[in-house]
Amino acid sequence: MTEGDYRHVYVVIEHIDGKLLPVSLEMLGEARRLFDDFNTRYSSKEKVVAVLLGHNIKDLSQTLIEHGADSVVIVDRPELDALINKIHTKVICQICLDVETSAKIEPAYALEFKRPRYMFFAADGIGRHLSSTVLAELDSGLASDVNQLVISDLDISHPIKTGGKHIIYKKTLEMYRVDFSGFLWTTILCLDNINENLSMREYSPQSCNIIPGAFIPKERDPQRKGKVIEFQPKIDENDLKIKVLSQKFVENEIDFDNYKTVVSFGRGIQDAPEKNIKLIEEFAKQLNAQVGISLPIAKNVFTASPAVTSNYMIPSRVIGTSGRKISPMLYIAFGISGAMQHVSGMEDSQFVISVNADENSPVKDVSDIFLKGRMEDVIPLLMEELKNQQITLQVK
Amino acid sequence: MIKGISLFINTYKLNFKKNRIAELNLAVVVKLEPDLSAGSISYNPDGTLNRSKTKNTLGPHSKIATQAAFYAKVKYGAKICVGSMSGHAANNALQIAMETCDADVLHLYNDPSFAGADTIGTAEVLRKGVEKMEGTMEKKMDIVFSGHRATDGETGQTGPQIAWKLGLTFLGNVISYDVDLEKRTVTAKRLLILRGVPEIIQEIEAPLPVFIAIDPSYKYHFNTVSLRLSAEKYKKEAYEKAQNYQQYIHTFNREELGAEKTLIGLVGSPTIVYNVQRVPKGKAIRNAKVLDGSNPEHIRQTVTAIKEALSAMVIK
Repeated sequence: MTEGDYRHVYVVIEHIDGKLLPVSLEMLGEARRLFDDFNTRYSSKEKVVAVLLGHNIKDLSQTLIEHGADSVVIVDRPELDALINKIHTKVICQICLDVETSAKIEPAYALEFKRPRYMFFAADGIGRHLSSTVLAELDSGLASDVNQLVISDLDISHPIKTGGKHIIYKKTLEMYRVDFSGFLWTTILCLDNINENLSMREYSPQSCNIIPGAFIPKERDPQRKGKVIEFQPKIDENDLKIKVLSQKFVENEIDFDNYKTVVSFGRGIQDAPEKNIKLIEEFAKQLNAQVGISLPIAKNVFTASPAVTSNYMIPSRVIGTSGRKISPMLYIAFGISGAMQHVSGMEDSQFVISVNADENSPVKDVSDIFLKGRMEDVIPLLMEELKNQQITLQVK
Repeated sequence: MIKGISLFINTYKLNFKKNRIAELNLAVVVKLEPDLSAGSISYNPDGTLNRSKTKNTLGPHSKIATQAAFYAKVKYGAKICVGSMSGHAANNALQIAMETCDADVLHLYNDPSFAGADTIGTAEVLRKGVEKMEGTMEKKMDIVFSGHRATDGETGQTGPQIAWKLGLTFLGNVISYDVDLEKRTVTAKRLLILRGVPEIIQEIEAPLPVFIAIDPSYKYHFNTVSLRLSAEKYKKEAYEKAQNYQQYIHTFNREELGAEKTLIGLVGSPTIVYNVQRVPKGKAIRNAKVLDGSNPEHIRQTVTAIKEALSAMVIK
């Protein structure tokens, strides 16, 4: 591997109806922060490259530069107007492997360039699948749902990767993701195989998809300058037989935005799911509140009647990284432990009350009031007291 | 009246007969996962999953994928092959899958060299598996189904990566679909969830063959009596077959699959898990007032706080 083989971070930008999705600027912001540090530490001049595909999108390039991109590789074609995975995957891969484009990004290493060093996608309805297919084509590693990134030189000894020897992997992207339980944080690395006995293989780009809301965009700098590079893709006629017949926005099934209060529940319902959910339903009614859930509830973990299951244990009620981000005036969490994924969906609530039997639950750290107790004991008391204090509440 | 009934029966027979001709070739790739339902799941005291004490079953998203295949079997007539990569020889996931979709063939891909693979190493095995199914059924697949994501891995990458390796058009988050047998196209509705905008429903048409990753919200619906009747018939057949599911299982090791050693398992995986740690306790972003739920005065304080919060009197 030479210095010029793998360079830059490519960030795949998402937009809808001519507007950038917030995650695009969040990814660019993080890429900028990482690369300002990277270029200082390694005395390098590697670039943050925004990859922008679509139709009638030229106006977006300047915004991307002002938010941290050094170069924008843009493909503005009617065939790219609709979100079709196959076509977008092929065009992105062509960009990644195109030497001419890399020469425009950074002429100094034009002859050596093979591929991007790192690549970022969004962990959402577009980026999850796009990152998977792009990395299947580029035959490299992908970490998903990442919420922290670090670049460092790591001393690795691994039975397969290094044959047990200690090897320093330079400029390695540490990709942090929270596992499904919400309690374990895993670091994923994409490493070359440097094992003479078993396999020698280079894997690049080191890639991930990034949870929306995990990073903060850079403030806009209208003075920032960058290059806009137009790319001419080869589009396979056969792929044009895939057609988007219609695409429309639909109102979310569960309306959280028009409620002042959201009452949520989690695994704490476990002792009597049906009874506890009914109790929560009644309590929410008394407060004119919408009902939310934590992710485990939507996974058919608990048994309840079909009516309760189909109304409450559904993905569209999930608050958190796998669901909605809300900011009601009042958020009341029953039997929710406060895993990081859930917290990211409710931390902007104005006032938070949590009810939990375990005082060590992390949810305490995001609560204004932590009421220690089991929901089945506490809810009836709260309802009685609400009646006593004669609280009448309005929706909206 | 009698004429009506006999006409109805004849139509039913005709439809059923029509459906018996296998019009489509379908594959479903499924995963054996920890059973997260109450009674089967066991947590460690620190909140993480106790894998040794938790039972395994057909993953819930895999199950929805088999339901989606069943829809095509009833509506269009189809041969279905279900495949799974697993270290467990007694794979009850395949039994449940067979019972759900009335599968005709079951495949188990089992070899020590498959272990420890990341998504791309897994996708390579399952791609070879689908190619093997095509060999077994002597016909190319029209649709390959997978679940949305695994509940224990949750990356959602394996489906699209199998699709890409097979050269199939990938349709993800599919909430409903139909096939035009004459035009040999599929029309699917997809649900796109993106942060910052309302949900999007996209309707897409693509020539067969395709790979469909089914959305968790998928539910099939048979809108005619004859379809509902044939669904019942298939379900009965499926139940009976599933009692002896083991006789339908074909097991393949790496060599039999023809999977390249360097592309599978740990050797074929670009990524490694470098470190696993407890999620660090974040800095408390609020300073919680700790109250006791059994103390009436504390309940009163809580309700007063609710009142104040809703009249926006809380100064933070």
